[in-house]
Amino acid sequence: MSYDDVEIEDMEWNQELQAFTYPCPCGDLFQITKEDLRLGEEIARCPSCSLYLTVIYNMEDFQENSNKKAEPPKPQPVAVA
Amino acid sequence: MDEEEEQRQGVWSWGAGTDGQLATGSLQDEIIPRFIRSLSAYGPIVSLSCGGAHVIALTPGGRVLTWGRGTSGQLGHGESVSSSQANVVKELEGFVITHVSAGWNHSGFVSETGAIFTCGDGSFGQLGHGDSNSQLYPRQVAYFASKPVEQVACGMRHTLVLLAGNVEHPVYGFGSGKRGQLGISTDNVKSTSLPQITLGLENLKIISIHANGDHSSALSADGSLYTWGRGFRGALDTYIPCLSDVAFPVSKVALGWNHALLLSREGDVFMLGGDRHGALSDPQKMPSTADTSSSAGEPEENITQIISGPANVKVVQIAAGAEHSAFITDNGSIMTLGWGEHGQLGLGDTNDQTAPQVVCLDRISAWGDATPRVYCGSGFSFVLMTRI
Repeated sequence: MSYDDVEIEDMEWNQELQAFTYPCPCGDLFQITKEDLRLGEEIARCPSCSLYLTVIYNMEDFQENSNKKAEPPKPQPVAVA
Repeated sequence: MDEEEEQRQGVWSWGAGTDGQLATGSLQDEIIPRFIRSLSAYGPIVSLSCGGAHVIALTPGGRVLTWGRGTSGQLGHGESVSSSQANVVKELEGFVITHVSAGWNHSGFVSETGAIFTCGDGSFGQLGHGDSNSQLYPRQVAYFASKPVEQVACGMRHTLVLLAGNVEHPVYGFGSGKRGQLGISTDNVKSTSLPQITLGLENLKIISIHANGDHSSALSADGSLYTWGRGFRGALDTYIPCLSDVAFPVSKVALGWNHALLLSREGDVFMLGGDRHGALSDPQKMPSTADTSSSAGEPEENITQIISGPANVKVVQIAAGAEHSAFITDNGSIMTLGWGEHGQLGLGDTNDQTAPQVVCLDRISAWGDATPRVYCGSGFSFVLMTRI
């Protein structure tokens, strides 16, 4: 059973891992690559434990010839309502 | 540490260890409590705060030690490396630190004079400096320069601050507010990197604040509990602190990622949220899009009493990891329940437990009748035993 459902915009791009990540309760990170997303994969796995997340995203945003930037918007520095 | 100090305090750790958070000097998980020989050259540790994968310890003189994951600067040593051994935070020497909190990847420190410092991951504004930069050294939060602070509570991506004294607005929040965990607006505020007033707590005498995951809570002097942020067990998120309808005065609170532990003044433990130990054991958990079970938008709070043993056994202290719980009974037992995959229950295996189990410590006899204290990080646990 999926541990949680998380929107792609709530995941963080990790340059070192080359993956979108989200905190796992074990202390490690759930991870999913752009290639995974391009293929329609919606499960982000934690390399340290058995838990996994369901990632909510629009597959079209990750297609090769999409004009859209695949990375999610950076958190805004100042309050935005 | 000299021999006398060593005899005054025993420290044990167990659970996930891959970032050095167990202070064992290795990066292994430990499924049974591991006795730690030496932690502090500055006297017995007074208290601990355990985060995602790092730990902050306070010494009697107000010094601060940190260890564990340091990749975002959360250890405050001026570098972004992890350490499996405790090191003093030199940048804070000269301050008497009285309260600390370890979040997922950030840290908060409060001094005797009411100054607050933060370091670590600042991506969501959770350091409160008006930007989304990370800090490798503790940096004073300028916003509170003229507002003395008493406590800090660091969650996954947010931070709460409790001001000292009797003030109209006792609590402030900053960082991610996506799930309502800042309590600063009825609108969905994505994030703020400057502190803002947490609403709904005007003129209340708040005695403690708590943050973990996307949850927030505050406890008032009369034992009333206020919660905000992510809803427990599929309930709707709460954007303004909401008086919890528990039927008894609460004396202590510990938050996980999907549950809250409440200790009553009579020494009984209750769990808010997951009926056993958070979402992991809840077969009814539905995708958030189908969260319609809470009728008429009423937050549905399931409160379960946790039976810790015979009726005359009382609980004196509680702690919550992301998905596990621990508490100390008045006969000195350490009990754990919840998710156990990394050995964070300290029971010698990696099983989950839906009822409290007694944790056995080796060398325990050397500490006589000293009362243990327990602390939980996301996937790990610590116990301190101090001879008075």
